[in-house]
Amino acid sequence: MNFRKAFIVFASLTAITAGAWFSFQLASPPPAPRTATVLPATSELPEFSLLDQSGQVIGRNVFEGQWDLLFFGFTQCPDICPTTLQVLADAQRQLANAGQDPLPRIVLVSVDPERDTPDVIGQYVGHFGNDSLGITGPMDELRKLTNSLGIFFEKSKPDEDNYSVAHSAVVLLIDPDGRFHSLFGSPHIAENFVHDLPIIMSAG
Amino acid sequence: MRQLTLAVLSALLMLACSQAQAPLSASDVVVTRSVPGMPMSAGYFKLTNNSGQAINISHVTSPQFASVQMHETIITDEVARMVSLEMLILQPGETVRFEPGGKHLMLMQPANDIDSVTLDFFAGESLLLSVNTDFDR
Repeated sequence: MNFRKAFIVFASLTAITAGAWFSFQLASPPPAPRTATVLPATSELPEFSLLDQSGQVIGRNVFEGQWDLLFFGFTQCPDICPTTLQVLADAQRQLANAGQDPLPRIVLVSVDPERDTPDVIGQYVGHFGNDSLGITGPMDELRKLTNSLGIFFEKSKPDEDNYSVAHSAVVLLIDPDGRFHSLFGSPHIAENFVHDLPIIMSAG
Repeated sequence: MRQLTLAVLSALLMLACSQAQAPLSASDVVVTRSVPGMPMSAGYFKLTNNSGQAINISHVTSPQFASVQMHETIITDEVARMVSLEMLILQPGETVRFEPGGKHLMLMQPANDIDSVTLDFFAGESLLLSVNTDFDR
């Protein structure tokens, strides 16, 4: 009799615990990005004709087939551009060490095509990862891409040879369908990308 | 005995003088190695005015670079702009940070095969501080 009672108590406690655990699992929201803004609906990129680092003509389908982290900057930028690209490279390395597969590709789109030839941008992005992509090309084609994504850039001191370029500091995430999916605002910290990217990429 | 006392006092005075803080000091000095093929590096540090009066830094030079400029990256509404700092004023006791995404040195056109960098901080023609550092990366 005592054994029967003990069994009933044990079974009841097990059932209650299991029920509570399943309820908690159902009630718990899925993990959410910490800093990234996920667009309510992804948006299509416009048609454009630009150049990659090997001088090949590329269009919007260059963004199809992988997740891409897009940053708009220029190679003669001493501070924010190399700092941001280094953050992305650090995040990519940390994600690789954590077993994340696939890894997002790092893409630099030059807002200074006058000085950033394919050779120049290729050498530059190669410093931040062998599979990184550098994009440059004619200004009117570049404007098609930047305008559609809300990216601002403007040459400062345009009368001097040693000019700078003001530019948007956000990092955009393009999904494997080649659509604008999410964005990361500055300041950029590798840990934020390491936290948010697996969540966003697994949710699609 | 008196000579011994004087000698000890002199030694203590010299020791005190040698340990007195310079009016301007720098710490956490980092100069990033140029991205291959690029003609510029960035310089970051903490600069402290240890004196009782304001210090105006007019410019910075480096024997290893053709040009050094003080800049500040200002991000407003997610747009990054780089502005020149014509003068850096440190109030007594103030520490100013040069850091990624903020104030920084832009060092242009490096000499070949440099392992370390010297930064010379000037107020007009007066050299206030000279620091050496290795390339960061």
